[in-house]
Amino acid sequence: MGVSTILDIIGSIFVGGLLLLILFRLNTSATGTLYNSNSELNVQQSMISVVEVLESDFRKIGYCKDWTKIPDPSKSILYADSNSIKFLTDVYNDGVVDSIYYYIGSTSELSNSPNPRDRLLYRVVNTEQAKSSNVGITKFTLKYFDALRNPINENPVSVPALISSIQIDVQVENTEAFDSVYTVAFWRQIRLAARNLSNR
Amino acid sequence: MGGKAILIVVLGFSFIFLIMEKNIGSATTRTVGNMADYHANITVHNVAVSGANIAANKMYLDESWKDGYSNIDYQGGKINVTVDVLDAFKQIIRINSVGTYRGITDTVQVTLQPSKFSKFAYYSESEGAGMIWWTTGDTVWGPFHTQDQMNIDGSPVFMGKVTTKDPLNLRLNADPKFLGGFEQGVDLEMPSNNIGDLKATAQNGGKYISGQDEVYIEFAGDDIIYKYLETTWVKKGKKKKKVTEWVTETIPAATFAPNGVIFVDDAVVNISGTVKGKYTISAGGNKSDDGNIYLEDDIVYETNPLTNPSSQDMLGIVAENNVYISDNSVNSNGINIEAAIYAQNGGFGAENYATRGPSGSINLLGGITQKIRLPVGTFNWKGIVSGFSKSYRYDDRLMSSFPPSFPSTGFFEIVSWYE
Repeated sequence: MGVSTILDIIGSIFVGGLLLLILFRLNTSATGTLYNSNSELNVQQSMISVVEVLESDFRKIGYCKDWTKIPDPSKSILYADSNSIKFLTDVYNDGVVDSIYYYIGSTSELSNSPNPRDRLLYRVVNTEQAKSSNVGITKFTLKYFDALRNPINENPVSVPALISSIQIDVQVENTEAFDSVYTVAFWRQIRLAARNLSNR
Repeated sequence: MGGKAILIVVLGFSFIFLIMEKNIGSATTRTVGNMADYHANITVHNVAVSGANIAANKMYLDESWKDGYSNIDYQGGKINVTVDVLDAFKQIIRINSVGTYRGITDTVQVTLQPSKFSKFAYYSESEGAGMIWWTTGDTVWGPFHTQDQMNIDGSPVFMGKVTTKDPLNLRLNADPKFLGGFEQGVDLEMPSNNIGDLKATAQNGGKYISGQDEVYIEFAGDDIIYKYLETTWVKKGKKKKKVTEWVTETIPAATFAPNGVIFVDDAVVNISGTVKGKYTISAGGNKSDDGNIYLEDDIVYETNPLTNPSSQDMLGIVAENNVYISDNSVNSNGINIEAAIYAQNGGFGAENYATRGPSGSINLLGGITQKIRLPVGTFNWKGIVSGFSKSYRYDDRLMSSFPPSFPSTGFFEIVSWYE
C-alpha cells in the first residue's frame, strides 16, 4: 500500500465524513420541517374546530326557538369577564332555554403536557358536566363593548346587559414541540354582535 | 468501494428526503386547504346572513312581500330565500335564507311579527323641542323610542332597547347606560290614523258603540258594567215628554266584547275597574272632548303580573286624542293604572293638573305611547304642588304579547334570529 493509496483513503474518509455530517444535519432539519408542518396543520385544525363551536354558540346568544321564552334578549348574558362568559341560548334548538358557560382552566391542570402554557377551555351546558379536550389553547380572552361601541373596562362586567358586542381572542399552540419551538395560531373575532341581543 | 458506499448513502438519503418533502408538501397543502375550507364556511355563512338581511329589509319596505329570492348571485355564491307564514292570524312570518358557496350550504332563519306600539315603555314624537333632558337618576324600563333628538345629560339608565330617529345630543361628560342596546336612524312615525283597524275589529266580533256622547265602562272581573244615556219618550197626559237618564247594565264580558275590542265612536269614555282577560278599549272622535278617555278610578288586572307572571290579564287604552286621569275625589290620593296607553293625537295627562291639589302618585304598570307629552302635576323644591308624582313600571309581558288589535307601527320586527 503506497502513500497515495493511504492519502486516497484518508481523503475519501474525510470527504465521506463531511458528506455524512451534511446529510445528518439535513436529516435533522428535514425532520424539524416535517414536524413543524404537521404541527401547523394540527394547530390550525384544532383552532378551527374550537372557533366553529365558539362562533356557533356565540351567535346564538339570546336565541330560543320559542322566542317568547326569552322576551328580553338583552338580558341573556348572565355573567361576563375577560376569560369566561355565561349566557342564555337554545343549544338544541328545541324551544327550551339553556345556559352555556365558557371558561378557561389554569395551566396547572395540564402540568403533564410539555407545553407550559396550554390550558383547557371548558364548555358547560346547563348543569351538565364541563366538557373539554386539550387542543392546545393558550389564550381565550373576551373583550366587551357597549351599544355606543365603547369598550367596557370592568372585569367582571357588573351589568352584563350593557354588552352589545364581543371581541374574542383565541390562541392555540401545539402541545409538544420540536426543539422547544411551538407552532402558534391566533384567531380574533372582532365585534361579534349576536343578533338576538338587540332585536327587540 | 468507499465511493460506491457514499453513493448508496446519498441515494438513500435522497429517497428519504423525497418522501419527507412529499409529506411536508402534503401537510402544507392540507393546512392551506383547512383555512380555505374555513374561509368557505365563513363566506357561505355571510352569504346566508346577507340574504336574510336583504329579505328582512324588503319586508320592512313592503310587508306583503312573500316572493322570496331564487338563485341570486352574491359574493361568488347563491342566495335562495323563502318566506313562510307561521301564523296567519298573528301574522308571524319566517324568512329562510339559504346560502350556497363552493358546494357548501348554510341557513339563516329570521322570525318576524308585526310590531305594536304596546311594546314601548316610552314612545314620543317630540321630546319637548330640546326642553326635556334625560339625566342622572332617570331610569326607563322597557323599550324606548323617540322621533326627536334625545337630549342626555349625566348618566340616565335605559333598561330596554333605545331607538331614535335623530342622533343623540350628549352634553359634555354624558354617559348614558343603554342596557338593552341603542340604534339610531330608526324612523318610526306614529301613523295619523292608526285606530281604524280597532274600529273595524270592534264592529266584527267586538263591541262598537256609537250615538252616545259619553259612556262609562267599568271592568268587574267576568262582567262589564256599561253605563250610558238613554232617551225615552214618556207620556204625560196627552203629551209625550223626552226623558234622558243614565242606564246601567251589567253584561258578561265574554258577551259584551267577544274578541276583546271595545270601540266608542265620537264620545268621551270613562273607565275604571278590575280587568280579567285581554281587552283594548278605544275612543274615537275629534269634536270637543270626543276621543278622550278618562280614568275615573283605579284600573288594574285581576291577576297581578308582578306576582304572577303568567297572568293573562292585559289592557290597552287607546284614545284618538288624550288619556286623562279624572279630577275627582277617588283619584285624589293616587291612582293605580295597569295598561298600555296610546294617545294618537295627544298625550297622557291629569285633568286640571295645575289646580287639583296634590293627588298622590300615578302607579303605572305598562307603557305610554303619545304624540305630545302632557303634564300630570306641578312641583317646586318642596315637592308636589298640584297633581301627581310618577311611579312608572314596564310590564315585561308587553315585550312578547299585546292587547287585542293594539295599534301597529306598520312594520315587522325581528323576534328571533337563528344562524
